[in-house]
This record gives sequence, C-alpha cells and structure tokens, in this order.
Amino acid sequence: MHRRRVGVIVSGSLVGGLEMKLDEWYSVEDIRAGKFVVIEGEKSRFFCMVTDVRLDTTNPQVLADPPDEEEDLMRQVLHGTTTYGTVCLRPLLMTDKDDAPTTQANEPHLVKTIPIHFSVVCEAEEGDVNRIFGSEEYGTRYFHIGRPLDMETPICIDLEGFIERSNGVFGKTGTGKTFLTRLVLAGLIHKDRAVNLIFDMHSEYGWQATQESGSGRRGFVKGLKQLFGSKVAIFTLDPESARRRGVQSDFAIKIPYNQIMVEDIAALADELNLHPTAVESSYLIVNRHGREWLSVLLHQDPKDIKDFADEIGAHPESISALHRKLQRLEKFDFLQEKVVEDAVFKIMEYIDKGVHIVLEFGQQSSFLCYMLVANILTRRIHDLYVQKSERYLASGRPQDKPKQLIITIEEAHKFLNPMAARQTIFGTIAREMRKYFVSLLIIDQRPSSIDDEIMSQVGTRITSLLSDEKDIAAVLTGVSNASWLRSVLASLDSKQQALLMGHAVPMPVVIRTRDYDGVFYSAMGHVEGEELAQKAHANIADLFGDR
Amino acid sequence: MYDAEIGEVIGSSNTEFIAESALLHNPPPFGSFIQVKARETIYAVVCNAYTHSLEPHRLAIAYHRSEQELRDEQPQIFELLKTKFEAVIIGYECDGAVRYHLPPQPPRLHSFVHVCQPLEVRRITSHFWFLRFLMGVEKAPRDELIAAAIRAAYAVHPGERSFLVKAGKELVKLIGDDYEMLSAILHRIQD
Repeated sequence: MHRRRVGVIVSGSLVGGLEMKLDEWYSVEDIRAGKFVVIEGEKSRFFCMVTDVRLDTTNPQVLADPPDEEEDLMRQVLHGTTTYGTVCLRPLLMTDKDDAPTTQANEPHLVKTIPIHFSVVCEAEEGDVNRIFGSEEYGTRYFHIGRPLDMETPICIDLEGFIERSNGVFGKTGTGKTFLTRLVLAGLIHKDRAVNLIFDMHSEYGWQATQESGSGRRGFVKGLKQLFGSKVAIFTLDPESARRRGVQSDFAIKIPYNQIMVEDIAALADELNLHPTAVESSYLIVNRHGREWLSVLLHQDPKDIKDFADEIGAHPESISALHRKLQRLEKFDFLQEKVVEDAVFKIMEYIDKGVHIVLEFGQQSSFLCYMLVANILTRRIHDLYVQKSERYLASGRPQDKPKQLIITIEEAHKFLNPMAARQTIFGTIAREMRKYFVSLLIIDQRPSSIDDEIMSQVGTRITSLLSDEKDIAAVLTGVSNASWLRSVLASLDSKQQALLMGHAVPMPVVIRTRDYDGVFYSAMGHVEGEELAQKAHANIADLFGDR
Repeated sequence: MYDAEIGEVIGSSNTEFIAESALLHNPPPFGSFIQVKARETIYAVVCNAYTHSLEPHRLAIAYHRSEQELRDEQPQIFELLKTKFEAVIIGYECDGAVRYHLPPQPPRLHSFVHVCQPLEVRRITSHFWFLRFLMGVEKAPRDELIAAAIRAAYAVHPGERSFLVKAGKELVKLIGDDYEMLSAILHRIQD
C-alpha cells in the first residue's frame, strides 16, 4: 500500500502529543487542524489528528534577516532545511501493524505508547477510515454522516453506541445544528435503530424546511415525513399553522389541565417569573383539590382569591400572584378542561408501533409553551417507560422489551440548566440514561448553561463551531485530556463542519457533513417522479401478478 | 584536441596535489573538475593556480612591453616562467563507481592531469558529498571555491534549477549556523 508521505516524527510524548517535521514538498497550507494522518511505527500503526501547525527554524539569524522576495533560490534552499513546518499530532488510536486488513471494522485500541523516532507519517486512506469508523457496507449499525476534511471516504457513526446514551448537538446559531440533527434523525429512522420523539419547536423536522447553505441555498429541503412516509407521524399543537403550511398532521395534541403537575409549573418558574413561595402554595391547592388543582385555581374569580386562600390555608398574596401568572396558560388553545383522546397514550401507541413522532409547535413556539408541553408529555412517557421496563425485567421476554426511545429537545439549556435539571424530567432521563430505554438528543447553542453533571453524561457530542470559551469548555467536559480539541473546535468552518466525539465514534474526528440533497434522499430509500411510478407498478405486479 | 593532458603532477599528498600546467598562463579554471589517471582515477577540484619564475625567491621583472613585443624581442624569458595549479582531492574511482572519500594512495608524481569531460562531471556531481572536501580548503576563500565548483557543475546541468536548490540544501547542512556564508555562496551561484 503506497501512502502519500507527510513528514517524520521528531519528538513528543504520550501526554503532550507528538511533533512531526513536515516534509519539504508538503505545503504547510495543506495541513488543516483536524486532518487525519497515520503514523507507521515500528510495531504499531497510529491514527492521529492534526491539532496545531507551526513555522520553525533551526537558525534564528534567518528570522532577523529574512530573504527578499526576489531571492528565490535562497527561499527555496531554506524551505524544508533551515525553515520548516512542525505539525502537532494527537495520537488517538493504534492497531498492530501486522493485522491483516479485514472487511469488518476490527477493534483499534487506545493509545498507550508512542511511535519511535523518525517514524513516517502518511495521509490516511479510505481503508484506515473504514477500519476505524466502520462503513455502511458492514451493516445497519453504521450510518454515514460526513467525510473527513480532505478525503472523500464516508465517516460513519456507530448507531448502536449512539442510542445507548444521551447525545448532544451543539453549535452557535446558524452553524447547522438543525441540519445535523435532521441528518442524525434520518439515520436513526432509516436504520430503524430507535424510535424518535422530536419536540420540534420551530417546525423544521417534520415537513420541508428552508436550506440555509450548500448548493440549494434558500431552497427547500425535505422533512422526515416526506422522506420516510408512514414511518413518521406529525403531531401538532397548532393545527391551524400546520394547515397553513400545507402539512397533514396525524394528530392534534390537546392536554387537559388535570395533567399539569406542580413540578411542571415549578420548572417554568423562570419563564413565568414565579416566586418560590408561589410554587409552594400550589402544593396546598393540590392537597385540597388533587389533580384538578390548576383548573380550580384558574376558575377562581380574582375577587374570591382571598377566600380561596383562606380555605386552603395559604397566603392570599402568593395565591393571587400564582393565579395572575398562571392565567398566561389559559391562552394556549391546546390546554383544555377535557380532552377526547389522551395525547400520551396516542404517542405511546405510535411508539409501540415503531412510528417516529415529530411534534410541531407551529405558532406556539414560545419557551413557555415548549417547556410546558415537553415536560408534561415526557414525564408521563417516562413513567410509562419505567413501567414497561420493569415489566420486561420481570418477565425477561424479548417481546416485552421496550423500544429504545430517543427524545429530541431543542434549547436544551432551558431544561437542563443546573436549576432546572433537578426539577425537570429531562435531568432524570439524562442521568439515568439507558436503564429505562429512554435517552435524549440535546440540541443547544449554549452548552455552558447546561448542568455539568449532565454534560459529563452526554455520550456522543456533535459540535459545530463554538466561539465562546465557556461553551467550548462545557462541550469538552467529561472528555479526558481535551485541551488539544479546543484549537480544533475553534477552527471549524461555520457551515457544514462538525467535530464528532464520544461514544459513537472511536476517536474524535472533524467532518464535512453529508449533503442533504437528492443523493441523500435516495440513500434514505426515498423515491419520486418516474422512479416512484415504476416502484408502484412493480408493487402492483407483485401483488396481483402481471396483467 | 580531446582529453589531452593539461598538466603533470609535481607534488602530491592524500588530500591535494600540485601540478605544472602544460601551457603557460593556462591552468584549468578555478573550481573546475580535473582528474589524475594513475592506479585509479582520482578526482579533484582546482583550488589555486599561479605563475612564477623558475628560480625560487626571484620575482619576474617588469619590462613595460606588451606580451607580443616581449615574445618578439626576448622569447627566452617565457621559458623561465612556469604555471602551476593546486587541486583538492574529492574522491576516486573504484570498481566502476565514484567513491567520495580520499584515495588510499596519493596521486603519483609525474602522472598526467586531465580535465573532466561533461559526462564525468555529471557523474561526479550526482551527489553533493564532494562539497564537504571543499569546506576544509584554506588556500582559497571557501565561499568562492564552493560557488565556483557549483557553477562548474551547474554548467553541465543547464537550466536545471532544482540542481542549484539541491546543492543549496546540501550546503545548509554543511555550513550549519553560518547564514552569512550561505547567502554569500547562494548569491554567487544564482543565475
């Protein structure tokens, strides 16, 4: 196998990383942070990522008297001898050198040593990438999510590893979080690895959305429902908005007041500007009126609040404030006294059938509404899942095993900030992880606001550009020896580039994300136009025989 | 006149030799490649040349005539002058290959000296190890000698700029920290 040489290893340590002297015929400008290279050691082969590039000289005098522009010969002579590029590498994985290349991705192990002096460094090849990240050809557990920065080989994430834990998609606004999420969700749906429940705040996942970059900029891209048809159901909180956008929703969610618990309100304390005592007094109402506490409270005439407070033994001012602030909930159309069909049972019914649900919020895209609904539904779904898992544990029968559920939430820091994480159900799910077959897909632009404990439990992080130091530090919590990743993270392009790290990839890697275009649609099994007609004819022929 | 001798060795050591030029005032060029065909062919680079009177310690006398007038009037005085040149040994031929180390024996006295033909120069200069021998010369300014030798070698690699670059890179290794010397030589070989 003939690889293109990049340089030789001249120094380094296991902890600090390796330094390579760049070959003179290789331009420094071709080396990008995040590039993927292979070191041919004496006994092992090391897979590394470029973390830093530096200009070096053996003779400081040259720097004091640099050659003029017309001193061409001098420049050429100095290049690669007195002046040269040094590239810092971080070894991430190693394999034994005499391993025969196998078709299955065999297990490269973590780096426990470093290569000998003057080991040759080469560009990585397709085989290396496949060996490490797997390939879609190896089975349905691998999903092609993008390509390395300077190669055309697909990089895959291991969906099996991905669904085991909660995961995160992070990045500044406008860096393609939605796009990355849609990609990952499409992969999960296509490979049928887990059932998704997506709290779609801005109605971007279910039906078509506008594309912000890439070749079809400002065009429309297909939503999950369009790609996967009956495998995806669209639930909506705002049927009006869905109709206006021409989206056929499968179910309009209505939530009765009696499903709102004090915990749900407590989680909204910030949004509703509630005082802690107001939250506590609501427990007094619950003591008296049970599940109907909210509708009882909202039905009180402001003039009778004092009597009501006396009746339950609470402070009138605090009940009055609670009443006033909770009245904001009354303007939500989806909150009703009585509902015909319980949304949670409906959701569970779909989940049990393996149908993925996109819950669109339509016009109701305020944080208040989003958090309220997400909390109420998730809490109950989680309870049902706990019961199901317990039943499965008791019976041990495979048919009782609940389907792995992934709940996607946007603006996750609202749910998972250190305050809220203790109150909302999402904190619980993020912590207890896979025990109950429910995990989260957290989408956020401000990871530093998310509770540290939760961040450290996030299995796979897909991170596009972040510039705030605090956010970068937050994304790297729980990643050992992560300082070198900072430079990589900060140097990502603002579009279509992301750093993958964590459970679903054997080593951190920077990718150019896959294009979300016609090629992708057909890879996901989507057919249209002429092809669709042909498929229909073929199906008819299969069913009824050729006529 | 192909491959005629240009001189005869009149003094030699393992590292260098002195030869008397066959023609008065016509030593081989400074920095050019020459060879002595003895037991084995020894290659050298001309590092010095001079013309003086036969009698030691005696300088020639100025006659204030042109050379032609002198030749017409007193041809005998040219018989009393000799041109000599010195060369530093850079390697020898052994078993059909050029060895870039000192020959086991110095060139024999009275051996004839020849210029290296272009093909031979190409062969000798296919490696730059010969530069190392020129670094040790004290009879001539080193930068001048090295530049002259590289120019002579470049003459048989016409237009191959990469040759100059390669030579320069080799020099960097030899010279090390002496950036001044490097730039002096590079200025002299730039075309």
